[in-house]
Amino acid sequence: MNLSVEIGKIRMKNPVMTASGTFGSGQELSDLVDLNKLGAIVVKGTALKPWKGNPYPRTAETPAGMLNAIGLQNDGVDDFIEKKLPFSRNFDTPVIVNVVGQNVEDYAEVARRLDAAEGVSGIEINISCPNVKEGCMAFGTTTRGTAEVVSAVRAATSLTVITKLSPNVTDVVEMAKAAVDAGTDALSLINTLLGTAIDPWKRKFKLANITGGLSGPAVKPVALRMVWQVAQAVDVPIIGMGGIVNALDAVEFLLAGADAVAVGTGTFVNPAATVAVVDGIASYMEKMGIDDVRELTGGVGS
Amino acid sequence: MSNDKNRIVADCEIIGQIEVAPHIFRSVLVEPTIAKAAKPGQFVNVRVCDCYDPLLRRPFSVHAVDPEKGTFSLLYDVVGRGTKILRDMHVGDKVSVVGPLGSSFDLGDDPNVHHMLVAGGCGTAPIHFLSDALCHKHGCDRVTVLVGAKTGTALLCQAEFVAHGVNVEVATDDGSFGFNGLVTELLDNCLKSTLSLGINTRVYSCGPMPMMREVARVCRERNVDSCQVSLESAMACGLGVCMGCVTKACDHHEESCEDWRYSRVCTDGPVFDAKELVWE
Repeated sequence: MNLSVEIGKIRMKNPVMTASGTFGSGQELSDLVDLNKLGAIVVKGTALKPWKGNPYPRTAETPAGMLNAIGLQNDGVDDFIEKKLPFSRNFDTPVIVNVVGQNVEDYAEVARRLDAAEGVSGIEINISCPNVKEGCMAFGTTTRGTAEVVSAVRAATSLTVITKLSPNVTDVVEMAKAAVDAGTDALSLINTLLGTAIDPWKRKFKLANITGGLSGPAVKPVALRMVWQVAQAVDVPIIGMGGIVNALDAVEFLLAGADAVAVGTGTFVNPAATVAVVDGIASYMEKMGIDDVRELTGGVGS
Repeated sequence: MSNDKNRIVADCEIIGQIEVAPHIFRSVLVEPTIAKAAKPGQFVNVRVCDCYDPLLRRPFSVHAVDPEKGTFSLLYDVVGRGTKILRDMHVGDKVSVVGPLGSSFDLGDDPNVHHMLVAGGCGTAPIHFLSDALCHKHGCDRVTVLVGAKTGTALLCQAEFVAHGVNVEVATDDGSFGFNGLVTELLDNCLKSTLSLGINTRVYSCGPMPMMREVARVCRERNVDSCQVSLESAMACGLGVCMGCVTKACDHHEESCEDWRYSRVCTDGPVFDAKELVWE
């Protein structure tokens, strides 16, 4: 049985990745999850300099999901390379770093530094996080902004470049095409959906930031629809995510046209959800008599 | 404060469900690994149902352990959906638990020190476990527990503390039991007497934020060197990865802090040195 897939130049032993911001840099959960069993580790959003993050409360539970407005608290790319990257070199699992910035040059510079570091396989451009005032989602909601960031990162690195798309747009396919035209090797989608929650008794917003990104099973139908639409329109590999908690959720994304999947909020519910998804995809394939996971991609009928 | 990673994910059977005070419940769960590994101040993250709503786990501090029987207890106020579901579970039901998690209280090594524990409301939960551990390590005569509640009927664990053999002082806001006033006023009085006798005192606290803020202030004013507090926070992951449950912390111990950073309650805490926190 073949579970391995390729995303650009990255060869993964299975199609299951971690979603950025839900798995730290890998080390944090290495006592509960065998990192060697993962297809790839996607490291939390990393900027040129440390970011403090947003005021709290930063999270709010919602029906079958949660809102977060962390604001990409991170210690910066140099700290990542010096303190966190060495640990992941002990594992036979590709490391992809989610990159954030307030301007185009920041994205490119982070990409350059990661390119020069040993042990990074790919870069995921985050132009879709909804919780930062400057940069970030502002780029991912216009085709011009998307193209600018993707071109700059593409020019700064020979690593595999993945562009993470925002669902908070009128037409996700337009953004996907703009990213592909600007040279991205692959696409990942979806980032969180912009939302809010109110405490009726306190008459207050539940998040200090007022708005936050919705994730969890609640967003799965939206994510699945967008993956399917984008898969119809582009030829690059797609990493599907949004509400995946178990293997059958993952299979749905593959059938919709994804080449790989990522587990995010699911890790909060079950810390070892990623590994359970890997094992579950294999048993699904066995039951269905499928030898190669790549046969699943786009395999949905109407 | 230490943070050893010996956490596990386990399905734990509930073997006890008791209402110990109005809408305060104690659940006893079986899991020998957690019962052995948990340290005072640490918490467990409980998935109260095998469902998507509520989706996230609920953090509960460890209230008591019995390593020989392989059990541990939680003590909680029924305040929301998660605690209601847990309360309504039956003996014999199982829940998924991740733990033990987070930092624990540093019990100190000096045999000549006095240990003063300040518990407010449901903050009594981890203080009970701590009192037991301090008793075993340093002797019960070295331990004083100050328990605060709104009123006498809401007092928690008073009988258990007496059974431990520690010194127990009680304060109620309405004066229906013990000292009439805030437990922090009681702390100030008690510190005054121990310190005037030249007895070095360590302070430990868990309770509502305004109470712990006052505990920290009293300790600073009385130059208490070691003051540890255990914070409560809603959490998404409980594992240190989502950065959701943060509080403002400072690397230096000066009174005002401009260069604070957001520190995670779940893995940098829940137990912090009071001097490390920015009290707002």
